[in-house]
Parts: sequence; structure tokens; C-alpha cells
Amino acid sequence: MSEQRRYKWVGTRQNRPDGADKVTGRARFGADFNLPGELVGKVLRSPHAHAVIKSIDVSKAAALPGVKAVVTGADFPEQPDQLLPAGEMQVNLRDVTRNVMAKEKALYEGHAIAAVAATTAAVAQEALSLIKVDYEVLPHVIDVQEAMKDGAPILHPHMRTDGVKPAPEKASNIAKRLEFNKGDAAAGFGKADIVIEREFTTQPVHQGYIEPHAALASAAEDGQVQLWTTTQGHFQVRGFCCRLLNLETSQLRVTPSEIGGGFGGKTVVYLEPVAIRLSQKAGKPVKMVMSREEVFRASGPTSGGWVKVKMGAKKDGTIVAADITVALQAGAFAGSPVGPSCMCSMACYDVENIHVVGYDVVSNRPKVAAYRAPGAPISAWAVESVVDMVAQELNIDPIDLRLKNAAKQGTKTHYGPTFGVIGMVETLEAAKASPHYKSKVKPGYARGVAAGFWFNVGADSSAAAHVGEDGSVTIISGNPDIGGSRASLALMAAEELGIDYKKVRPIVADTASIGFNFVTGGSRVTFATGLAVVNATRDMIGQLKQRAAKLWEVDVDAVVWEDGEARPSSTNVGKFEPLSLAKLAASASRTGGPINGHAQLNAQGAGPGFGVHIVDLKVDPDTGICTIDRYTAVQDVGTAIHPSYVEGQLQGGAAQGIGWALNEEYIYDAKGRLLNPGFLDYRMPVASDLPMIETVLVEVPNPAHPYGVRGVGEVPIIPPMAAIGSAIARATGVRMVDLPISPPRLSAALDAATPRMAAE
Amino acid sequence: MMEAQYRAPGSVDEAVALMAGAGGKGRVLAGGTDLLVQMRAGMVAPGLIVDVKRIAEMTAISQIAGAWRVGAAVTGAEIHDHAGLKKAWPGVVEAINLIGSKQVQGRASAGGNLCNASPAADSVPALVAAGAIATVQGPNGRREVPVEQIPAGPGKTSLKPGEIVVSFTLPARPAGSGDAYLRLIPRTEMDIAVVGCGVNLTMKDGTCTAARVALGAVAPTVLLVEGAAKALVGSKLDDKAIEAAAAACRAACKPIDDKRGTIVYRTKIAGVLLKRAVAIAAERARSN
Amino acid sequence: MARVILTYSFAKQFADGQTEIELPGRTVRQLIRALEARFPALEGHLEGDIAVVIDGVVHQNALLEEVAEDSEVAFIPPIGGG
Repeated sequence: MSEQRRYKWVGTRQNRPDGADKVTGRARFGADFNLPGELVGKVLRSPHAHAVIKSIDVSKAAALPGVKAVVTGADFPEQPDQLLPAGEMQVNLRDVTRNVMAKEKALYEGHAIAAVAATTAAVAQEALSLIKVDYEVLPHVIDVQEAMKDGAPILHPHMRTDGVKPAPEKASNIAKRLEFNKGDAAAGFGKADIVIEREFTTQPVHQGYIEPHAALASAAEDGQVQLWTTTQGHFQVRGFCCRLLNLETSQLRVTPSEIGGGFGGKTVVYLEPVAIRLSQKAGKPVKMVMSREEVFRASGPTSGGWVKVKMGAKKDGTIVAADITVALQAGAFAGSPVGPSCMCSMACYDVENIHVVGYDVVSNRPKVAAYRAPGAPISAWAVESVVDMVAQELNIDPIDLRLKNAAKQGTKTHYGPTFGVIGMVETLEAAKASPHYKSKVKPGYARGVAAGFWFNVGADSSAAAHVGEDGSVTIISGNPDIGGSRASLALMAAEELGIDYKKVRPIVADTASIGFNFVTGGSRVTFATGLAVVNATRDMIGQLKQRAAKLWEVDVDAVVWEDGEARPSSTNVGKFEPLSLAKLAASASRTGGPINGHAQLNAQGAGPGFGVHIVDLKVDPDTGICTIDRYTAVQDVGTAIHPSYVEGQLQGGAAQGIGWALNEEYIYDAKGRLLNPGFLDYRMPVASDLPMIETVLVEVPNPAHPYGVRGVGEVPIIPPMAAIGSAIARATGVRMVDLPISPPRLSAALDAATPRMAAE
Repeated sequence: MMEAQYRAPGSVDEAVALMAGAGGKGRVLAGGTDLLVQMRAGMVAPGLIVDVKRIAEMTAISQIAGAWRVGAAVTGAEIHDHAGLKKAWPGVVEAINLIGSKQVQGRASAGGNLCNASPAADSVPALVAAGAIATVQGPNGRREVPVEQIPAGPGKTSLKPGEIVVSFTLPARPAGSGDAYLRLIPRTEMDIAVVGCGVNLTMKDGTCTAARVALGAVAPTVLLVEGAAKALVGSKLDDKAIEAAAAACRAACKPIDDKRGTIVYRTKIAGVLLKRAVAIAAERARSN
Repeated sequence: MARVILTYSFAKQFADGQTEIELPGRTVRQLIRALEARFPALEGHLEGDIAVVIDGVVHQNALLEEVAEDSEVAFIPPIGGG
């Protein structure tokens, strides 16, 4: 918390503007949009994990009464095999189009093979059953280590590992190899008093958003297309769809719905291009909604991974060397977050000798999509566990060990850049001083600590500020609100204008109504779009001052804006009654026309974030069930514009990390088919599983933002797994290395560690 | 959802007649917390839905000479709020109250839970341990069936066409009796039982004079583990007797490896839950 | 001269293993041109899929971003957010 309230609105806990609609059910989510005459679209999905598609016969389906359109991969133009911008992401469109609708091969169970649009859901379902696909089933591979082995089934015969010199001749499932180096790790180990080496694994986990993907597309005969969809980035959706379907960006207007969670999983397209294509063929609107099962079978979770860590330290706790190997599943097409995973792995620490190698590996599962700090939680699981093992072996407090090695201003990272001002030390110290850490661990319980780092991004945002005749203000921007951003934007605008927060209405505009906005993700919106909103509001204030100056017939430099009104800058200017926002707005037409502010920028200077988490838990030794008693997330958050939503981000990330640690995993059968595509058996934490998660907000303002904002959304998912693993190790003496630490696994590990007890 | 006819009869006779006349396409609707889910998932498509919630006999709780009669369609929420039933059979009540979730409890019934015949049904091991008798009515009249004879396999019951479970009778038992039900799930709610264990005991002067032990989710149907009961009866519930009962439970298990648990884990937990359930039942027995 | 930093594997693949190079340039684009002039194999590989860290601050799409006389400019793999 700030020591003193410097602001009137920023930092207060106002009601969110979307709150009433959401709690009464009025809010319109992706599946809540309808158009007269709309058709129901459904997707036929591959039952095989890996197969050649020899032929598809849709004739019977197309002839079924009520079916208005059928599409397959042939309906989507071929795309070049290179990285091209789509929206503002660099993507291989050849891969993207194939993920949306398969062409030569089915690469995972659930892969979209064909789609139909029909007058009713029942007809659409029947039409799917009439589509005949001739598959040649191939051996499949899912596990990342299995996929890397010689002799593993190859997904893409043309794939050669990039980053290896000389370029290999043999096809591989390893799309890319990365290597980072600082100093000389091999020599560094020679200086160590202790060396710890372990291998860790994680299973793929889904972002778990409550709202499934949904889209409604309406294509007109003149080529114009309208699309309503639940997404984290409607400009990104526009970019993808235009590229995939050869549309001009101005022909496609995308309106984002309210969103029921995304966490990165809704920054890509699945149904949208299909719905558009069906609508083009049918001449009618087409609505498509994924079932929960489809969300699991066919939308990108994050990678599963294998991480090997070797770490050397001196007796006094100085970490002298680290050697890390990371292999991440990309799913059916190249592009796992192995880069950030490697970079974040040691970013919290100032260590002389660091060597990291990363592998991007394809396997027969849905193409991975971003999930909150993509890649970082996986390497952090391994590295932070080993740091804790070092602390245990040297008998040093785990926070003190991290303080001794903490990255600070001037630390050179292993991936190249030198850190400027960062908050790792402040966050560690706040953790050490927290009520949780100062409290004694209860008997029967044990405590774990872990840290995490994430870059946070800035990128493109556009915003506008309009004032109505009565002086109420509309703030227009283009980022779907997934974490309370509308409230934060309105708070900053209210602060700038000096008017009541309730007089500021923030809206999220569609792609035709506001300039480009990069996705809501990367912890960027309060920072980058906030910056755009502040600038747009200042632009508007500039115009308001000019109107006042005109009315008073004085120089514009003689006008100041304070508390919602224009005032003469001093008594020397003359005796003028202040002009309120309402007064100036009411006379706008007579003083020159409407008063609108706008701003657009590529926001640079997003500051990185550090988090330290503390967990107290107990383990039931007979059942392997962990009960979390107390959990605290500490993080440097810049300035908390709306403290409740910042706390919410920390709590949400922690809850997801806890699920990742304890129970979430994809379970496949021998044929590569998913056995648990539902929330019953894909076990995310329920409310009764967790205590209230405490938060400590360390406010180290980011100088690149007028209110000191730093992105916060992603860091909190990084530390939980290792914090829990370390608490379990300290509770039981057993260091778990494979996630999830589900009860059967922990029970088996405990029994293996104490064979006498198991024989009972 | 498929088209289906809906009827809400006022008596069991009417309900049976409707079911018998539906040509096998009739389904009983009590709370609907299994039926509606299965209909929406396309797993079942009944031609006739017979809503039994207007039948007094099926929705009442009453006590007759120390025995309790619970209508098959009484909701978990009502059972939760019934002080008398809770005092007499805390294990049965806590088992029924584990079905689903708070929201599901407002509708779910023990009759539905039994007839859905999931091997992991939560109410069934407790009812079996209690020695509950199901009153069943069909086209050929009424009969009384021990609850453990109703499940016939995953999703299958031994009920004949047109038969409906009307109510459960929990028998009168002597003072010094207590029951308990425990289940293991990976989270704290919302999971299908990995193992469920119901224990019902009578104690006299520190010695166990009667016992029934039932296990759920470790075999295609609920298991009445007579070996466990034998190990407990006549003992003072000392460590050796309890360990023998736990071993009997582990031996009786026929679990599978699936997405909810492994054979090794389920077998181990069967023994763990037995010990814990015996402790709770004994504590309750001693205070009765 | 700005100090340009490349990651280890990128340098091995395209820049004869040199991870730190002093180069003239007052914008990122000028530095890229200077790099491409010194290491022809590098051409085209710093265009799309890369992020730039200028004096400790991460930039996306930073082609025309200015760099100071003694800036540290590091090219790193792209950072996707979630």
C-alpha cells in the first residue's frame, strides 16, 4: 500500500463498470449473440491422434435437407511456410491454417477435419455423421522426451531442427534448439562446495477458462463480414481471419463479447475463420460454440515439459553455476514458449556462470496456446525447486539464500541484456517481513517459498476520450476486459480530468470504431492502454483549455485545468469564473466543434515483475493429500490503480499454479485420445480447496508510466508449483520432481521412501 | 434434448403403471441430477419421464418403532436438515450429503443415487453398512430388497422392468450403535469418490457386538465386506482387530486403474478409510 | 558505438559466435543494417521473430527506436504473453 494517498481516484476500490451486468446475467458473452436466420455450425473432429487424411467425402452431408454449407481444408487457401505478421503476431500461416482446419494430416485427436452449417443443431450433428473420412492411421507420440527420441513417429517430414550447425538432414520432431550462455558453467562447478542435479517434468495443463470458444459470423454478398467472438484480442482475430481468408482488414469488423476468462488461450483463432467461411458459402450468419469437451480436445493448452537443472553453490550460499536444459511440447505445430522459458529460468538471480539449452518439440496434441507467462512456470518449477534444495543442504533460510543471489540493477542476464531498476530485492524483503513469513509454522505443517520473473510487454494501443453535452465522459479503447481494466482506465481518466469516477464511462470498441489495439495479454493493458487513455484524456484537456482560452480571449498558456474545470492560471490573467467540463461541452459547437481526445502509441518501457510466494501446508501421509493452510503472494506491482483487481490477479495466478502443482493433467489412452476432457476429471482447484490467498503489493512505480503502472497479471502463476513442492519436501523429506503431485503419486512416493510403512 | 412425454403421478401405483406401460423407454425423475445431465449429453433419450416428486410416500421421512423410513425421492438438503435422522444415522446422512455439491443437494436423492448405479455412488456403501432395506414396487407388487442386492454392475440395477424404488428402511438397532461414512477424493469437493467406506457398529461394554462394512468405488458394484465385519465383531476394536479388518478390505477390493485412481492407491486407501471410519463410528457408538 | 548483444545460439548460427559487438547506429534499424553488413548470413533473421532490449527495457517492433551513443542493445527471442 502507498504510504500516503497522492491520488483522489487512482488506488481506490470503486465498483467495476461491468459489474451490474455480470452479476445479473445481462452481460453478453460469446454465445449470447444471435442474428435472424442464423445457422448452427459444428465441427467434425479427428478421432485419431495421428493420421493421413486420404480423402473426405462430404456429398451425403451436403445433400441432407437443412444443411446450407460444408467446408474442409480445401476451402482455406494455401499459405506460405514462413513467419509473417498477422495482426501483430509473427506466425507461420501455413501452420495456423492447418490448425484451424486440417489439410494433409490429422495431427491430434480433436483436430478439425470438416465443418457444416445447418438450420438446427440436430441437423448439423447428423450431417457430421454423414461425412466420410478415409484415414490412414499412423503411430503417434505425445510425451516430449519420447518425441525427441530417434525413431519417434515424425509429425512433419519437412521439419529439420533449426539452430543446429551444420543443418541436419534427417527429419525431426525438434523444431528448434536455443542456447544461452554467460561465463563458463563447466568451470564454475569446479568452484562449488555442493552440486545438485535433478530432472523435472510437467504435464500439459489447460488455461481452464469457464467460457468456451464461441463465434457468430455474418458474411454479406458484397464481401463485408461481421464477426462477434469471445477473444482476448479482436484486432488479432481480424488479422488472422483476413490472412487466412484473403480479406482486407477493413472488410472484416470484429466485435468482442464480454469474456469469461482467457489467460492467453483466447489470443488465437479456432472457430472464427471456420464460421466466416461457412457463412460465405451459406449466405447466412453462422454461429458456432464449442462444448467443454471440444475446448479440451481441440484448443491449445500449455506445454508439458522436461527440465534438467544442475546447480552449484558455495557453502556461504553463493550460487556459482547453473546448467539447465528445457524441452517443451509445442503440440502439433512448432512454437512452444521455450524461449521465454529459458530466459526466465535464472532471471531472478545474479550468477556468474549460466548455461541454458532449450528445445521446441512437436507432438500429437493440440497446438499450444499462451498461458499466463508462457514457459516461465515450467522452468521455474525446476529451478526454484533446486534453489530450495540448495537452501536445505546448506541450512540457509530460503529467502535469505535468494537475497544473497538476487538480481538487481546492473545484473547481466544470461540471455544478454543488463537489468535496469528492478524489484527483486524489494519483493524478497517484503516477503520476509510479511505477517505470514513472520508467523511460526504450525505443528504438523511445513513451509515452502519460491520466486518468479516475467518480462511484461507494452505494444500497440489506441484510445479516445469523448465528452457528452452534459459533461459526462466516454473513454473508448479496444482491449477486451479480462481483469478489471475498464475500471482502471476509468480511474486514470477520472484522475486526469479531476471529475467523479462515476461520470467516466469506459467501453471496449470494435475493430472499426477505434484504432489498432494489441491483445489483452502479456500483462499489458493497464500499462499500455492506460498510457493511451491518459494521453487521450490529456489531449482532450488540451482542447478544453483552448476553448476556455477562446471564450476568455486569453492565451492558452494562461489556462489551467484543475478538479474538472478550466481556471485562469493566476489572478493576473483576469477575473474569470471557472468553466466546468459540462459548460465547455455544452458550448462546444459554438466554440469550434466537438471536443474529442485521442492517442495511439507503441508503448515501450513495460517494466518486468518479480513475485515471491509463501505456502504453509500439511501432507496426510496415508493418503498423499495436501491441505493448504496459508498462502501469500508477494509481488512488485508498480502502482495498484485498482487494488482489488491487482490482488485478484495475484490470487487467480496463485490458484492456477496450485492446480498445476497438485492435480491438473491431461490423461491419454494408448491411442492418444484424451480421457478427461471435462472439469470433473480435469481437476482444477475448487473454492473449498484453498484458503483466502493473502497478497502483499510492493509498489515500486514504473517510471515509464504516468501513474507508475507495471504489468501484474502473469507473474503470479510462476512461483506456486515450486513453493508447494518445497513445502512438501520439507514436510515429508521427499522431493517430488514430476507434476502434478496428485494424491496417488505422492502416496506412492512416500511409500517408496519408507518401505516399512508401505508393507503394512 | 430429445422430445419426451412428462407425467407427474400422485401415487406409486400410478407411477408403476406408467413405467410398465412405457415399453422400456420410461425413466423416473426425482431430482434429475443424473437423468437431465445424461439427456443433455445425448447418453439417454427417454420416451416418458415419470416425475415422482408428488408422491407422498416417496418424499417423506418417518419413524416407526425405532426404524426410519426415508422416501427414495427425499432430497439431500431435506435429509441434511432432519435433526432426528441425523442423530440416529449420521453416517448415512453424511454419505447422502456428499452427492454432488451444495447446489446438487437441493435436488439429489438417495433413490436416484442408488439406481444410477455408479460404482462410486456415495450413499450406497453407507446404506449397505446400515443394513438398509429398499422397498420396491413393480407390476407384480411390492417386495423388500437389501440395498446391496440392487446394483448389478456399472449403470445397471437388478430391478425388473417397471419397478421403482419407493423408500429405504433403516432398521432399529440397540443403544451403543454408531455409523460413519468416509470417502477419498483428490480435491475437497466435486470429485467422484476414489474409494468410499461405510461402517456401522454396535458396542457393548467396550466390545463390538455387531458390525457391517461396505466399500464403494473399488469394484463394479458396492462390496459388503464380511471378512472385515468378522474381524471386528467380538473384539475391543484394538489395533490388531482393526488392522485385520483393513486387510480384509484391501483383499476384497477389485479396483481398476483409471483417470481417478490406481489399483495400488485404491487398495491402500480402502484400508486407510476403514480404520478412520471405524474410529468415528466407534466414537459415535460410545456416546449413544 | 552501441554495444549489440546476441544470444549464444543465434551468434553461433549467424555471427561467427560473437555475442557482443560494438557497432555504429542511432536507431535499431541502423544497428541491424550494420550487423547484416558484418555478417551477411544474418540478413533477414532479425526482422520478425525477435524482441529488443534497449538499456534494460524490452521493446517489441522497435525498428525505428532510437539508441544512445553507448546504449546496450540486446536481441532476444520473442516474448509472447498470456
